[in-house]
Amino acid sequence: MSRRNYLIKRVVQALFSLWIIATILFFLFRMGLPDPTAALITEGLNAEQRALIRAQFGLEDPLWKQYMLFLTNALQGEFGTSFSYRAPVAEIVWERLGNTMILMVAAITLAYAIGVPLGAWLSWRRGSLADTLGIFVGLMFRSAPMFWTGMIAILIFGVSFALFPTSGMRTLPYDATGFFDKILTLDFLWHAILPVLVVALYYLGSPLLIMRNTMLEVYGEDFIEMARAKGLPERDILYKHAARNALLPVVTQLAVTIGLAAGGQVVVEVVFSWPGLGREILNAVRTSDFPLAQASFLIMAAFVITLNLLVDFLYSTLDPRVSFR
Amino acid sequence: MTLPPFLRAALAPLRLMMRDRLAVAGLCVLSLIIAMALFAPLLSPHDPRHINEVEDGSVLVQTPEGWVLGESLGAVALNDAAHFGADIGAQSLIVGREGTIWARESGHWARLDGGTVADLNAVDFSPEGTALIAGADGLILLRDGDKWTEIKAENADLRGAAWLSAGDALIVGDNEDIWRLDAETALITRINSPVGRGFSLRSVALDADGTALIVGERGLAIRFDPQSGSTALERLGSSRDLNHIHITTGGTALVTGERGTLLRRAAADAAWVTDPAPDTRALRAGYIDDTGTAIAVGRNGIIMEWDGAEWLLSPTESERHLRALLVVGEDRLALGSDRFVTRLAPPSREHWFGTDHLGRDLFSQNMHGSQIALLVGFLGAALVVLIGTNVGLVAGYFRGRTETILMRTVDIMYGIPFEPFALILVLLFQPSLMIVILAVSLLTWRTVARLIRSQVLTLRERPFVKAARVAGASDLRIMYLHIFPNVLPLVFLELAIIVGVSIIAEATLSFLGLGPPQSISWGGILHDARLSGAWRTAWWWNLPPGILIMTTVLSVFFISRSLEVVANPRLRARE
Repeated sequence: MSRRNYLIKRVVQALFSLWIIATILFFLFRMGLPDPTAALITEGLNAEQRALIRAQFGLEDPLWKQYMLFLTNALQGEFGTSFSYRAPVAEIVWERLGNTMILMVAAITLAYAIGVPLGAWLSWRRGSLADTLGIFVGLMFRSAPMFWTGMIAILIFGVSFALFPTSGMRTLPYDATGFFDKILTLDFLWHAILPVLVVALYYLGSPLLIMRNTMLEVYGEDFIEMARAKGLPERDILYKHAARNALLPVVTQLAVTIGLAAGGQVVVEVVFSWPGLGREILNAVRTSDFPLAQASFLIMAAFVITLNLLVDFLYSTLDPRVSFR
Repeated sequence: MTLPPFLRAALAPLRLMMRDRLAVAGLCVLSLIIAMALFAPLLSPHDPRHINEVEDGSVLVQTPEGWVLGESLGAVALNDAAHFGADIGAQSLIVGREGTIWARESGHWARLDGGTVADLNAVDFSPEGTALIAGADGLILLRDGDKWTEIKAENADLRGAAWLSAGDALIVGDNEDIWRLDAETALITRINSPVGRGFSLRSVALDADGTALIVGERGLAIRFDPQSGSTALERLGSSRDLNHIHITTGGTALVTGERGTLLRRAAADAAWVTDPAPDTRALRAGYIDDTGTAIAVGRNGIIMEWDGAEWLLSPTESERHLRALLVVGEDRLALGSDRFVTRLAPPSREHWFGTDHLGRDLFSQNMHGSQIALLVGFLGAALVVLIGTNVGLVAGYFRGRTETILMRTVDIMYGIPFEPFALILVLLFQPSLMIVILAVSLLTWRTVARLIRSQVLTLRERPFVKAARVAGASDLRIMYLHIFPNVLPLVFLELAIIVGVSIIAEATLSFLGLGPPQSISWGGILHDARLSGAWRTAWWWNLPPGILIMTTVLSVFFISRSLEVVANPRLRARE
């Protein structure tokens, strides 16, 4: 199969996946929330206004018609109006997605930047106290629920020492004209440190352990023996010869992690009041704001699938052995 | 004895696990936690849902920083206090439940023995210093010097007592009982109430004009004139239960009652005014003097002080129910406390992990929390591995269209973000144990299916499978009897990893308030802590559940690490 055909096939598959997910989502919501406007009663809407909204969302139509309407709307990027924000859903979702991604990308980058070299170093010192300690700490943060680590971090650094702010992305009130205007400030960095650190500590475990274990495998390969026989310094063998060849499984893991990053870490966003997409979904479903919940989830899934796709392409370029299957 | 190959394969991981020290440690810790879950009711000293209350002879002392808790006077509540004398020989008496009598002289406490174990409700000093104590079941105690005299009225609880003159006192109680005591002869006579509907009379005080004013339930106020011996109803302007009355010799008066009732009279001939109270909890005692000082105390540590224009809440940081005030010059004490909820108590011998905002025992909650964690963890993981292994086996073995459909499904699942999906599932279908387990497992089998399939793909080309096929074995037989035992180590490895994932997922859902309802879980404890806002100070509340989750998952990870060696023989060779 040629590279072009492979790409086309993968894109078609991704679109197919997205359609299935949209369908599941649609029926899930219709099953779980037969009358989404019920939540609007509290807002003082009378029966007439509710009927109007029901008609607007086509809730009076037969199910298949509703489904078609939902699909065509989704295709046009038309997700309706949020019940609680009274604003177009798409705008809200894109902004929240940006907030989630900046947190996740920063955290994953940090985790891998530390985890990979540390894992290589631990494998070199295998069996030592540092090795055991490293594995233990890595697994410990992997085992601790992130919301708890977050709470403890807030307790220590936010409350006891009052070093970092503990909620939100910026000190309120602030005005920013755009996304980058918002995040390219020292204030944002200050707010991001704790949540990024908490997520990074959680992710640290996988690159650390995978790197360490693959390195151990690589050490047994002939080319390492060869390098030793040539009398190269251990340092060079470790970082130039072994580490390079041990990177592949780490990259695989990184790909999976980035692919799922858009799903975010809802609890971290909740604990740190980070205005991300996960927290938005939680609030939306809680307040029965179903246009927002539905759209958030769909866009999140679309993003996850797109990321998976991109990662696949990149990966096939990196490692020719896996491509064009 | 030869075991069937199937069983032998199943035992192999266990044998290898025993060789890894970390895995053995993990196994030990996990068994401890499983034991904890099984024996949770036996291990917990309290019912985890029970709101714990404790009784205490509490003393709050007024300081410039507010009212602070002084040293406790025993384990029973204090009900009333009275003071006699000015300088030398001045003494305060404090009475409480179960016959408790304390004397306080220049700041020192001494326990007195009144020869009774009945609950004592009221105390008053005569102008000569004779103490009169009234209590439960019609008990009246007189103390003259060191001599105690016990008088029995009829079987009704007596709640208030006041001296009218040197040898003449009035005692009031439930059933509208009013007794007049002649201290000389120690005889009591019943005074008939003008209402006669069996209301409870709570307190009595001597008014400036020599009459006595009695207050009781439903705003009842009765004036008693000792000269004529007659009683008359009076209107104070409230229909709430009135608990306490205090009148100074100058005639300023304060009546306190239920739901923040504060009735004040500025002078002997002034009218009663109802003051707006800053809190509507029950007020049990009040104090007023002629210089403008007024204090009222009540349930849940409420202390209000009059600043000349309005009542202000004083900070107490105490949940104790206050019942009496003892004011001697600048020495001001608020006394209580009948059973109060032990909210946010730090770890103590009674509550090893402290209590939460509702006074529930956190140690017991943490013990019980292990049940849900392990139940969801193991059931969820079993479900995940069951689905994942079968999908992987079928897809890997049959290849072709079957494989395409199954693996495409897995691909689609990889497009669904886990946490948000679980959230939506639980929120849309109401949290229940079933839904939580489903939410935890519905997506996670994707990894298992992929792993098992890739393993099966290599296994199905091996000679032993071909041999079985040639021998005429059915597809099912080859899949489950020949291939499956060979992927078993991988299955165990995945099982161990997924148990950890499931436990964390359950904790996450519970933390967001979406856990199985009416159940106690570690995530739920943290949810309560976060919701109450007290977690920023109550470290004993949020540390243990997290540590327990971490320990459980960590022990499972250690076990899975040893299994990894089984699943990946290349690792075995290197280490």
